[in-house]
Amino acid sequence: MVIKYERDNIDTDVILPGTYLKIHDYDELATHAMEGIDPEFHSKVKEGDFIVAGKNFGCGSSREHAPIALSHSGVKAVLALSFARIFYRNSVDGAFLLPIEIDEDTYKNIENGDELEIIIEKNEITNLTKNQTYRIKPFSEIISKIILAGGLFKFKP
Amino acid sequence: MSQTLFEKIWESHVVVEKENGPSLLYIDRHLIHEVTSPQAFDGLRMKKRKVRRPDLTIATMDHNVPTSKRTLQIIDQTSAIQIQTLEKNCKEFCIKLFDMNSPYQGIVHVIGPQLGITLPGTTIVCGDSHTSTQGAFGAFAFGIGTSDIEHVLVSQTLWLETLKPFEIQIEGKIRNPFAITAKDIILSIIKNIGTDGGIGTVIEYRGQGITELSMEQRMTICNMSVEAGARAGLIAPDQKTFDYLRGRKYTPKNYEDLVELWKDDLKSDPNAKFEKSFRLNVDDIAPQVSWGTNPAMTSDVTETVPSPEEFAKGDEIQQKNVEKALQYMDLKPGTDITDINIDRVFIGSCTNARLEDLIEASKVVKGKKVSKKVRAMVVPGSQMVKKEAEKMGLDKIFKEANFDWRESGCSMCLGMNPDILKPGERCASTSNRNFEGRQGAGGRTHLVSPVMAAAAAIVGHFVDVREMEIN
Repeated sequence: MVIKYERDNIDTDVILPGTYLKIHDYDELATHAMEGIDPEFHSKVKEGDFIVAGKNFGCGSSREHAPIALSHSGVKAVLALSFARIFYRNSVDGAFLLPIEIDEDTYKNIENGDELEIIIEKNEITNLTKNQTYRIKPFSEIISKIILAGGLFKFKP
Repeated sequence: MSQTLFEKIWESHVVVEKENGPSLLYIDRHLIHEVTSPQAFDGLRMKKRKVRRPDLTIATMDHNVPTSKRTLQIIDQTSAIQIQTLEKNCKEFCIKLFDMNSPYQGIVHVIGPQLGITLPGTTIVCGDSHTSTQGAFGAFAFGIGTSDIEHVLVSQTLWLETLKPFEIQIEGKIRNPFAITAKDIILSIIKNIGTDGGIGTVIEYRGQGITELSMEQRMTICNMSVEAGARAGLIAPDQKTFDYLRGRKYTPKNYEDLVELWKDDLKSDPNAKFEKSFRLNVDDIAPQVSWGTNPAMTSDVTETVPSPEEFAKGDEIQQKNVEKALQYMDLKPGTDITDINIDRVFIGSCTNARLEDLIEASKVVKGKKVSKKVRAMVVPGSQMVKKEAEKMGLDKIFKEANFDWRESGCSMCLGMNPDILKPGERCASTSNRNFEGRQGAGGRTHLVSPVMAAAAAIVGHFVDVREMEIN
């Protein structure tokens, strides 16, 4: 199911506020995910959910805690118009979640609560709620390989 | 073939290159702090691996160290544990650590250059996005996450996809270099190119407007490159760069020979091709104050808070961004920036807590008192900055004006140590991020220069510092 935030520049300080960077336990980190803009997030997010957002998702600090907190909340992918690069890389490095770039039409069409199916091999999203299909921007070769390997340390160049 | 400075540094550090793929780059310096490193060390232990080059790895503690007297105990247990963990990890893996009681402790990006660890032409990484600060010395310096920290610890290398060179040409000459600072230049740039204007790029700042700046001012510019979405920012080294680094604690013994090499090599060739370009003329720029919840939401101090429609110019999402920002900041469109009253002032952070920043701010403060409605603090970027400032008597100037004079650390930049805003408090801050909750849940941040922050502390609201009388 989709949790949509209609805003750009969702930064790592709202994805995981700085005060929680001292927490070592990933599941405990997850209880504070998105707390900066959505204190209800932890109670509503379910395993397999997707976040949809605007431009420059994950800007700001290099804290890997941000994708970790989302991933341990159950978020499988973030669909955004664009990503800040450190967040993008951190998400892929640890195979925490898929950072998927979508275009503006797709962004407008997907609504809060929609059920999606994402088929990476086909670069395709199916909106099961609306019976629509969208294209996603393909991952570069190296990013696909790291994702398929299950993260940077499992990847053999 | 003509190359940019960034391409030259990149090429000289490639260990393995793959066609249409990423390159494995050699990393010259790896800086570490207490927050983003613990899991990386855990990874090493789990896989029974060692640090490949402990001699090129340097650690300090800055993010969650309290800025109260060093003799006091750390009350927050989780912070204390994180700090002890770094001590333990550095001991176990033979890494040089500047701990809380070291005369060299400080914000990692402040001490790098001060100790001569940061050098032109090198690759520098740290688990902190503001590593870009050190690009001011002509280094390719960038922030990484914890997985990448582990990768660098074990291999002293990093896989990286190519980045595009982005040229920002700063033209003209600032008329009032006291009131208009490097902070105003970089905020003006971000206001123009946006928080995502630099995604996928490394910015090279060039032109007269840059060469005129001191090294410390150049660091302020490069520091906030990441706020424009760039992976790094850099400036070609010149005589000011070479002079700054001469004779520091870790400056190499063959420094003068290196300078001779750098002088010829470390600049973009005349016909080098940049994939993106932006020009800013600084002749007439005004002091800048951010009013929103990202650094691009910034105006001249002489302007008013814009309306969402006006700022968004037809972009629907942007309009919603601004609506939410103004709601969070509790500001109404049309309010004069100079009518915004503040509760707190923070002069500090890796953006603006070096000696020059404190000197400039002290000129505004000297002989005056902080407004009764305001609580103001100065947090030097490092113990070295603090000591030099005290030698000059700056601490007395600030203390006599009722500023709090603190020990060095990241302090109120990021709300993970005792220095935080209370919900609803409004702060004039010399830091780099005005994100929601960045300085503490519910806190409201206005990004400004040290001079503007000092002036706001005295009068209780923002003022056009060009018109202030300075002692």
